[in-house]
Amino acid sequence: MKILVCIKQVLDDIPIRLDERNLWIEAEVSPIYRMNHFDEYALEEALRIRDTHADVTIDVLSVGPVRVSQTLKKGLEMGANEGIHILIEGEGYRSPFEIASLIAQYARCRSYDLILTGIMAEDDMQCQVGPLVAELLEYPCATAVISERLCRDEQAIYVEREIENGRRETLEITLPALITIQSGINRPRYPALSHVLRAKIQSLVVIAAGESTRSKPRDRIVRLTYPQASAKGIVLTGSPREKASEILRILHEKSLL
Amino acid sequence: MDKKIVVIAELFEGRIQPATPEVIAFARLLQGMDPRELHMIVAGQGVESAARELAFRSGFDVTALEGEGLDPYSAEAFKEALVPLLADRKPKYICLPHTARGCDLAPGLAVALDAACITAVEGLQEVEGSVTFLRSLFKGKVIMEVASETETTVLTVLPGAFRKMDHAAGREGDLEVLHTDCAPRRTKPLGPGAAGVEQLNLSEAEVIVSAGKGVGKEENLELIRQLAELFPKAAIGGSRLVCDLGWLGYQHQIGITGKTVSPRLYIACGISGAIQHVSGMQDSQCIVAINKDPHAAIFRVADYIIVDDLLTFIPLLIETCRLSQPSP
Repeated sequence: MKILVCIKQVLDDIPIRLDERNLWIEAEVSPIYRMNHFDEYALEEALRIRDTHADVTIDVLSVGPVRVSQTLKKGLEMGANEGIHILIEGEGYRSPFEIASLIAQYARCRSYDLILTGIMAEDDMQCQVGPLVAELLEYPCATAVISERLCRDEQAIYVEREIENGRRETLEITLPALITIQSGINRPRYPALSHVLRAKIQSLVVIAAGESTRSKPRDRIVRLTYPQASAKGIVLTGSPREKASEILRILHEKSLL
Repeated sequence: MDKKIVVIAELFEGRIQPATPEVIAFARLLQGMDPRELHMIVAGQGVESAARELAFRSGFDVTALEGEGLDPYSAEAFKEALVPLLADRKPKYICLPHTARGCDLAPGLAVALDAACITAVEGLQEVEGSVTFLRSLFKGKVIMEVASETETTVLTVLPGAFRKMDHAAGREGDLEVLHTDCAPRRTKPLGPGAAGVEQLNLSEAEVIVSAGKGVGKEENLELIRQLAELFPKAAIGGSRLVCDLGWLGYQHQIGITGKTVSPRLYIACGISGAIQHVSGMQDSQCIVAINKDPHAAIFRVADYIIVDDLLTFIPLLIETCRLSQPSP
């Protein structure tokens, strides 16, 4: 069984500011990157499938500039068999449709039985790439998956989706299929030493996404802005002790304490 | 439906979901900036009466798209039924709620209709004669203004971003009933799962003290508990991240995929303020936010802003409170 896990490299939670053209952001200090944590859950779920089924290989894939190789290596350290880097030039925003088109183009003739992605990326929270890839590949798709198991002799997958108000929806979809993974589905494992050592020497498969393969954008960023400072909030000032007394006084006045 | 603004209603067990009136409110705002007719589609089985009710209350013309294969919901059957209808009628905007189902459907619809897909829309504005849509990035620190480049645009509208309007419709919308044979071939919906989470009545709490990633470690939740103990009828809440880490059970989760609460007092501790959380607590009567990051988005909804490390501030707050109690 061939599994593909699509991962995104995101900036760690460090101070950021708008770039000079207000069309993207830059880190205020040296940037630190890591794997989108929803994709960690997706990769862990793939690893659990491999742990419990025969003959499963896992490719981990990411679209991005050179720096993304570091996160793909982390994927290998967690235990993926192969790392695929779809290399694009430059920093800056790429829309979900562009990313999904590149992933679908790569995956199209490679007969993956199951593709997993995180439900969304932490930085832009669009929840799009997974279902877009599924539609482009004509795979049935289930999003917000909180539990899964293969069934019918690995011809289908049973999933539970998380919907509003703590409820779940259950369904079976035939393979090949794509599922997007909700956080909390599992606890991602620590990398095993054997995988860490292998990752150090294993090369990634690098595919340059040429300009000619760039799909026509369907939307564009007009600009980025900082949110307006709210007129609502009162900033407490003074020493921490003074602020503590002040908030207690305020809450007491409001009969909340 | 040519070049219209179309709202796709969401029903669950035959009932119109609360996100739908919010999408209707959004569609009216959109109409205000880009005047065109409003239309609604209600898809499912036995939806005619809900469709009629929506036509009556909203004043939109409504299409009830009836089909056995549409119940229970599956993305496959919904797409198969909706795409030909939408492709034929070519709306300019297709608006869905940013719910589990809306996000399940919207991107696939966009691909099939050669449309742009813009999700989690929380605002809109008119810029030089065209509409741009606003959404958050980086846990609420940056707003992205996006314009569509395609003739049809699929949008998902963030719950809580647009208040439903009590709109005197002025006209009763027309109802059209269409039937479809569409049925899922590669999907087998199996019905509701067991409720994932034991219920905790957060909505009865008068005070909620909530923990976010800034709490740092599971052991530090003890501070949150001690702070909650200062108040009568208090409960503990958490962001999704804290629940994913296993520090709190999901019954404590507040936010888009958790609970929505509006207590008298909400104290947000180490919570960044990403919209997924904020939309679950922004209607709290009094919001106090403690975070050491002065740019945390939570401060935009807070009534009282405390820029401090909660690990030192909360113990101080507890101590100051205890010292001011009269001795027994």
